[in-house]
Amino acid sequence: MKAIATWILVIAMIFTTVNAAPAKGDDFNSVVKMIEQFYRVKHVGIPFLAKAGMKVATTAARIKGGQARRIAEAGSIKLAVFEDQDFNGDFTKFRASLNEALNATWMPLIQTLSAQDEEQVYIFLKDAGDKVNVLVITIEQRDATVVQVTLSPKNLALLLKDPEGTGKSITQEATINDQE
Amino acid sequence: MKTLLIAIFLTLAPVFAAQAQQDSRIQMSGLDHLAAKASQTIDVNIDERLMRLASRVFDDKDEDEREVKKLVANLKGVYVKSFEFETAGQYAAADIEPVRAQLRGPGWTRLVNVTSKKDGILEVYLLFNGDVVGGMAVLHTDDKELTVVNIVGPVDVDKLAKLEGQLGIPDLGLGSPKNKTKNDDEK
Repeated sequence: MKAIATWILVIAMIFTTVNAAPAKGDDFNSVVKMIEQFYRVKHVGIPFLAKAGMKVATTAARIKGGQARRIAEAGSIKLAVFEDQDFNGDFTKFRASLNEALNATWMPLIQTLSAQDEEQVYIFLKDAGDKVNVLVITIEQRDATVVQVTLSPKNLALLLKDPEGTGKSITQEATINDQE
Repeated sequence: MKTLLIAIFLTLAPVFAAQAQQDSRIQMSGLDHLAAKASQTIDVNIDERLMRLASRVFDDKDEDEREVKKLVANLKGVYVKSFEFETAGQYAAADIEPVRAQLRGPGWTRLVNVTSKKDGILEVYLLFNGDVVGGMAVLHTDDKELTVVNIVGPVDVDKLAKLEGQLGIPDLGLGSPKNKTKNDDEK
């Protein structure tokens, strides 16, 4: 009887442990580091982009809740840009590593791989109360971006209706320079 | 002893309940190796958590969104795997066999089977739990394309075409050929 009770306790502990897997604090930075390690590349920070006068106008505007904001909620953007570097590597291995790393806290929505254009797009979602966090990772031949934004329910509906199109819009909006 | 049995039941019931809900979920991970050969791969995973989220965010005031909201309200998941290849012959029947084997399992019925020289083969399978449709699978195979769509949960077949182009489900022409069950090239 004691042995059975012990087994029940063990089973209960296993399920409790599985369900209570600790949430990772900063998955955005983990993903950026993962790309850097896997492809041996370095991302460019926003201050550097600002010096170079590139791409940052809209991002900065959005971080301050400026007029350029369209999809993302004000103040919600995290952005890492990789420019003009080689992204050579087995994308199936990268995909497996990425999914394994984010599986505990993020829900994979859509993943597209294009061998022809050597482009990979990954969109993950995470519930954030009445809003949703969205992580969009785009890797191309020479460039890559990691964008994390918070979406309102309305824009989440757009994303769910057209995951691929809206995911690309999020990345474009995060990196486009409205002054161009 | 009675307390012990109750304790065992309470510990294991959620596990069995979860398994019962997954009955119409098709395991498609066996297709993942095709990504290395494909020119384009699309992988959509909308699980039950995302489904709950989806039914929350679609707007009742918008007619289209209201329809989609009704359709997804009771669904447990939508899963899509789609591969496009540069040339024909990049995948074999054996690659799809693990999926087909599941669709030959108990409860699954092939509702639609359309063969077209132009559009390839479109098959629609339904999983019946008694009289209720508990899930659906769509298999579209072409020389240069392979798409598997799996909808988990009660599906309103008549309104299914409305989900095409939504939630990452590709446009498979489900609205038009649903009454066809024979090879349309023979006609």
